[in-house]
Amino acid sequence: MKNWLEGLGAHIGTATKKGFPTTIVVESAKVEGDNIVKFQLSEAQVTQIKQNISENPQVALGPGGLGCIRAAYQFKGGARIEGTTLIVEVKEIYCTKPGPEAALRLDTLPYENVIKFESTRWRDTGPPK
Amino acid sequence: MKLTDEMKNALMIIGAGGAVVHLTTCSADGKPNTVGERFVAVWKDEYILIADMYAQKTRMNLMENPIGVITIAHPVKGRTWAFRGPTTMLQEGLPPGFEFHGAKAKDVLDEWGNWAEKEPPSEVPPDIRPPRLVQRGVMFMK
Repeated sequence: MKNWLEGLGAHIGTATKKGFPTTIVVESAKVEGDNIVKFQLSEAQVTQIKQNISENPQVALGPGGLGCIRAAYQFKGGARIEGTTLIVEVKEIYCTKPGPEAALRLDTLPYENVIKFESTRWRDTGPPK
Repeated sequence: MKLTDEMKNALMIIGAGGAVVHLTTCSADGKPNTVGERFVAVWKDEYILIADMYAQKTRMNLMENPIGVITIAHPVKGRTWAFRGPTTMLQEGLPPGFEFHGAKAKDVLDEWGNWAEKEPPSEVPPDIRPPRLVQRGVMFMK
């Protein structure tokens, strides 16, 4: 998960508190600790989502680039903006691979079970170098 | 509003595995959902559709809040358009003559209701190809 987010960034879904969505695309990220993801935004991107984040900090992250399909995860959590950095605390992780395990919640599994799940479902552990 | 040729080409890249996008929807109380989707097409220059392979949360969101955002993930690095508009699920069983923003559901489903037959996913790499493309309908954006 960290490899894909850091290598190819994410599509970041935000919304007003009434549910009007805005998505931005950021091509890299930095993962800190177990569940903090930081994105460096352009000024234009800050402008695009600042109001949404201030009234509704809920965000959804889909891995960018090939990770859209190769890294079949969705991350949900709370976000805040500090300067031009978007800081996301991931609270939920879902499998998005089409089929019987679509929408399976992964963050509620023991960590070793998540590792086992990944290793038995797909081979990629990060974007191509 | 019509999509430009550049936008249409970016959404319908043929070869090299095809285009992949993210579709963001949102619950009525503001919780977003951003999911990668592979089977994407453009219909009559004004609509974008995606095969609905039983996207459960997306369906729930669209039923209560029919708007979406489509962003291109691959292979169009740099072409970071976001397409936002009224979005719904079209599937067999809708009332006869059902229309969504000027599009007749029957016409859309007649053309794209069986994606596997119209555009077999032969270019999708085997390790991530669905064993069978099981389609409920289409996610449809104006």
